[in-house]
Amino acid sequence: MLTRHFPLVIVLVIVALALLLPWLMPWTYDQIDWDAVRAPAFSGSHIFGTDEIGRDRLARLAAGTRITLMVAIAAALVSLIVGIAWGATAGWVGGRVDEVMMRIVDGLYALPFMFIVILLMVVFGRSILLVFVGIGLVEWLTMARVVRGQVMALKQRPFILAAEAAGTPPITILWKHILPNIAGVALAYLMLTVPQVVMVESFLSFLGLGVQEPLTSLGILVKEGADDMDMTPLGLLLPGAVLVVLLVCLTVEGERLRDRFS
Amino acid sequence: MFGLITRRLLTAIPTLLVIILASFFLMRLAPGGPFDGERPLDPATQAALQQAYGLDRPLWDQAWLYVSRLVQGDFGPSLVYRDFTVSELIAQGLPISLMLGGLAIVMALAIGVTAGLFAAVRAGKAADKVIMMLATVATALPTFVTGPALALLFGLWLGLLPVSGTGDGVAWLIMPVVALALPVSGAIAKLTRAGLASVLKQDHIRTARARGLSETKILFKHGLRPALVPVASYLGPAAAGLLTGAVVVETVFGLPGLGRYFVQGALNRDYPLVLGVVTLYAALIILFNLFADLIYGWLDPRMREG
Repeated sequence: MLTRHFPLVIVLVIVALALLLPWLMPWTYDQIDWDAVRAPAFSGSHIFGTDEIGRDRLARLAAGTRITLMVAIAAALVSLIVGIAWGATAGWVGGRVDEVMMRIVDGLYALPFMFIVILLMVVFGRSILLVFVGIGLVEWLTMARVVRGQVMALKQRPFILAAEAAGTPPITILWKHILPNIAGVALAYLMLTVPQVVMVESFLSFLGLGVQEPLTSLGILVKEGADDMDMTPLGLLLPGAVLVVLLVCLTVEGERLRDRFS
Repeated sequence: MFGLITRRLLTAIPTLLVIILASFFLMRLAPGGPFDGERPLDPATQAALQQAYGLDRPLWDQAWLYVSRLVQGDFGPSLVYRDFTVSELIAQGLPISLMLGGLAIVMALAIGVTAGLFAAVRAGKAADKVIMMLATVATALPTFVTGPALALLFGLWLGLLPVSGTGDGVAWLIMPVVALALPVSGAIAKLTRAGLASVLKQDHIRTARARGLSETKILFKHGLRPALVPVASYLGPAAAGLLTGAVVVETVFGLPGLGRYFVQGALNRDYPLVLGVVTLYAALIILFNLFADLIYGWLDPRMREG
């Protein structure tokens, strides 16, 4: 378990650190230590030093990771709900409805979606709620396709046909017989959606369109670090490394799960 | 083939129209306007400016006017870069963005297909596992981390490459293109590896082996072409990804491409500039998807439509 799911263990360690560190540390992410502006690593109580206005790097890293993961999970859930609803409807109803619904998905796939999200962020003033609703609305397409395929395959199976013949209402069939059977695949794609969302959120934050100060996220920390990298490379390297490790581990576990179910 | 092309170009028109109108009304929902500066303008000047650019008319009128001018190839004036039309700004930015994106996709294809081929030939061996692990890592490398990290390493520490701006020669292109190409090359390597592994198990490959053809001939003549079908269908999404990646790379390396105009334009409420760039991006993505479909048909004749 430990060696086989090494990536998952790393993710859990990062999550645990992000959640626990705020209680263990003497500094909060937005607290300014006037006596130690731009402190180097391992100086006093600042393990990774402080940034250009004297905020503890480690505290900011933990806070940023927390926000990034929170946005990612919320947005992935939005995409899961929209994707399952859309895909299951299309797959179950079939025929014309299916064709139109899937054409819409194909069409949306081809759009420069990132640009519409950027516009959304500019328009509705960058609230954190909108960040994940916006991202979730972009990321549901793959989920819808996968769920539709699964539902279409299940529809032909004897136990579903039997339930239909017995006069079970469609809602009950979907809820009791179809959903449990697509849960595994949906979970795998949910897991693959999380790194996608992390990437989009950090991208938006990097451009200054995502999460806003004083809140912070990994994308914002990378941006701050990049602006200041000639003075302290640590500011870029720390959040960059956490972000990349998270993305790699989540992708590896997600792909493994997907391969098991397909 | 011409049927396919004309059909796709015809369906592109309503798609583009929807994108343009959606972006138009989204922009207008945004609070603030293009003439909000540090100091508020006096109401008379504000009104005069609004009138000069037609911003005082009903929204549908403006939308209709915009589309009818667009059809004639007129993107309108920029509201913030006062002395320029949007067409002029696009003409400045587009070559840089296209060059970045084009070079990145060529590089990603070269690295990705080679690595995938190498891994598939050694399926199950150590080389395969190492290459696939590197490919997974590469796909998870966001441009906004690799860009600054490359700049730090090769620009600031080693002093080998310029950190920002366009200079003489091609040195300034290296880091932006590498940062853009890395994640795409990882994805292409995985797709090539998976495609080739399944093709190599098929009957026509066994037949070729039985006929005594050399391994290289089997691989390149019979194996690679069908194996690249999934790669071709990935090219459309890859192009969209490269265009958004270019926004980051242009910001990180201070390159005057289209992406920077888009972000700046959106923040400044420069309506015509944003609309122009969105329209252009959408058209590029649609064109590239069509192009990918044509490659797809060439690779797999069964997919060709009449």
